[in-house]
Amino acid sequence: MATPVYLLPGDEVPSDRLPPTSNAPLRLGPGLRLLSKSHSRSTKAAPSDHVIVATEAGLLKTDLKRNAASVLTFPNRRYIATPNDLVIAQIHHSSQDYFHCMVTPHAPHALLGQLAFEGATKKTRPMLKQGDLVYARVLSVGVGAGAEVELACVNPATGKAEPGGLGPLTGGMVFDVSVGTAARLMKGSSASAANQQDPVDGLVVLEELGKKLESIGGFEIAVGRNGKVWVDCSNGGDSAIRATVAIGRCLTMIDDHDLSPIDQKKAIARILKEMKLDL
Amino acid sequence: MSKEAPLSLAERDFILDAVREGVRLDGREVDQLRPLRISFGREYGHVKVQLGKTSLVSRISAEVTKPRDDRPFDGVFNIAMELTAMGSPAWENGRQGELEPYVTHVLDRVIRHSNALDTESLCILKGVSCWSIRADVHVTDYDGNLIDAACIGIMAGLQHFRRPDAVVKDGQVIVYGVEERVPVPLNITHKPLSVTFHTFCDGKRVVYDATRKEEQASEGDLVMGINNAGDLCFVSKFAGAPVDAMTLITRSSVALNKVKEINGMIDKALQSDLAERAKKGLAEESRAENDRIIA
Amino acid sequence: MNPPDNGVASFQPVHRPDGSATYTCPLTGFNVLGAVNAPIELPARRDALKPEEATLEVFVKPATSSPAVGERYVEGILRNLLGAIILGREKGFPRRGVVLTLAVLEGGDSKATGRGSSYLTLLPALLHTALLALLSASVPMSMYFTTTIIAVTPSGEIICKPSIKDADEAASVHVLAFSSKGHLLLTESEGSFDFDTWEKVHDRALTICHLPEEASAGNGKVEYAVGSTWQKWLAESVEDYIGFKYAYEFA
Repeated sequence: MATPVYLLPGDEVPSDRLPPTSNAPLRLGPGLRLLSKSHSRSTKAAPSDHVIVATEAGLLKTDLKRNAASVLTFPNRRYIATPNDLVIAQIHHSSQDYFHCMVTPHAPHALLGQLAFEGATKKTRPMLKQGDLVYARVLSVGVGAGAEVELACVNPATGKAEPGGLGPLTGGMVFDVSVGTAARLMKGSSASAANQQDPVDGLVVLEELGKKLESIGGFEIAVGRNGKVWVDCSNGGDSAIRATVAIGRCLTMIDDHDLSPIDQKKAIARILKEMKLDL
Repeated sequence: MSKEAPLSLAERDFILDAVREGVRLDGREVDQLRPLRISFGREYGHVKVQLGKTSLVSRISAEVTKPRDDRPFDGVFNIAMELTAMGSPAWENGRQGELEPYVTHVLDRVIRHSNALDTESLCILKGVSCWSIRADVHVTDYDGNLIDAACIGIMAGLQHFRRPDAVVKDGQVIVYGVEERVPVPLNITHKPLSVTFHTFCDGKRVVYDATRKEEQASEGDLVMGINNAGDLCFVSKFAGAPVDAMTLITRSSVALNKVKEINGMIDKALQSDLAERAKKGLAEESRAENDRIIA
Repeated sequence: MNPPDNGVASFQPVHRPDGSATYTCPLTGFNVLGAVNAPIELPARRDALKPEEATLEVFVKPATSSPAVGERYVEGILRNLLGAIILGREKGFPRRGVVLTLAVLEGGDSKATGRGSSYLTLLPALLHTALLALLSASVPMSMYFTTTIIAVTPSGEIICKPSIKDADEAASVHVLAFSSKGHLLLTESEGSFDFDTWEKVHDRALTICHLPEEASAGNGKVEYAVGSTWQKWLAESVEDYIGFKYAYEFA
């Protein structure tokens, strides 16, 4: 494996570490930008007169299949809305056409159309009140300075809640994790169907909890890219609350400590034992 | 001043349901303190307090000033706490929120007004000069129970701090440098600490050392200031449903145990720091002093 | 052995802010904790916000006193330098605030943090902490910088990385900051000196901060044995942390 490339703001991305230029255009993720080269000092530069420069510190990650390059930044950063991200938003207030939602605290509200739900009409739209939660997709983030983030719980093309599970979240509990952990959890849950064995992005926590808590009825989970994880164990009967707390503690634990898959399993076993759930 | 982002209904309901079952989000018992770590910086009176995810730094400093006209025999002691955006994004730099005056008030009551620091011992020359002791509290991370954490920080700082020695010679005040004379500890009369409970379910459930989310879900707080001897120097309960007298009494005995436990932890931290300093040869000053006495 | 190293930096010492870092300077003993919240809404400053850009707020809190004129002055220096390199028009940033809070937790000599004394000895520690905190909050920037302090003794000798005592006794004290490309970004000087001295100070500071490509590629040993350059130190600090956080990427 090639040596990792660490970038600091202003650093040029070495052109030999980018996906080879093919017909498809190169996709740049956040933290990278294209600059035209004004003074070409080094002679071995690529023939193109453009360079890709980092704006954020982190590890260069390239995806050859998607022909994309991005920067893996500090995982504790604040969430910035990006189209197609799935987020857990909290209703702040509602107006004629929109629910005004909080995606990140102390940031401007995002807008969620009153009718942007599966099968919603003027009569059947959900009546959400302040403090209710929704699982939504970022529809657009707008352009320019006054840009507003718009959310939707429905795919506007099909009128269905796609991917499944979008819409109001009732009951359960929300836990806060870092944006980096949320991204890893999400990747894991989307890939888990394919290969159950390998940990995705080094996380085994959801698979492990799923196995261990199956006997009490399992749990439902929704991960928001904005660093929120919604958990519901309402099938758990008497142990529902303890199971939810245990899941929350496991999430906080993997967020606070960088544990190997083996240590994660050990810590999960310990927490479940402490919560008297190791049946 | 913007407030902390409100809890979602799901969070509030869940925390309340859990408290009803006696379960807390971090798996603690209702009367259990979060892991507490007290450590000291290089300078005297520099304390780092880590209480779960709440952390703060307290700094004690001393300077020579003129005593107040109405209290010529007393030194000055002040607690300065300014909440910055470091502790929570809800706090704005340079703007006072609701929390800051409240916490400062309680700290003032528990530590300053209970005379934990003997201010008379700070007098150098009557009506002319005295020591002014200042406790700065820098809140670096806020996850609930700021009052208790700040109390621990200030009390540990006062016990750790050493002020320069000063003497009066022929009506002149001479302040010795730290290199010249062993700096002297402050005169602590007693060691009060605050113990903060939060009430839930119409005052039926009382929880100790609440996290930020628990604080937000609670009805109100119940603060007690107690020292090791069990002297109650402060009680407040400003909000929430009434708590019956028996609960208050049982809580105060819980509080006394907590204060003893925490004071024990402070003592232990102080002793190990002192031992560390001695080992590192930072006690050279005292050796130099001994040499001088012998000579 | 090389002169004392560049000090200890650590990322994310606290949880609440979007980015945070501490830095301890070994020679002056300054220990600074920096926190960044960005991009966030500044409700009270709504009318003062620039419509197209992010607004940078800098707040410096001294260890044992209330903030006063000296802090306001360094805040201005920091705001000018950082405001120039932060890309305030990137997505999510216009009309929002980048709030930088720096708390001086421990300051060299207690004398050094007293009123009326020079702020230059503290400035490099503040600048480095601010940069580390901004990096950890992933605030987009066009470049990064490194900075150093240099003292010139009355006899004209140049002292790199002076202690507080050295700075007190010096004829002049200079703080310089260079961009990652080696351009001069900031110069603050105090005391009396002539232009030739400043030129010498500048050249010396550049070699301390910025590792020229030729030198790194060349004979391996850099002529001035000043430990590692600030640039190398900064890059290594970031690599250590990021490498640790993303260890699973290499598994």
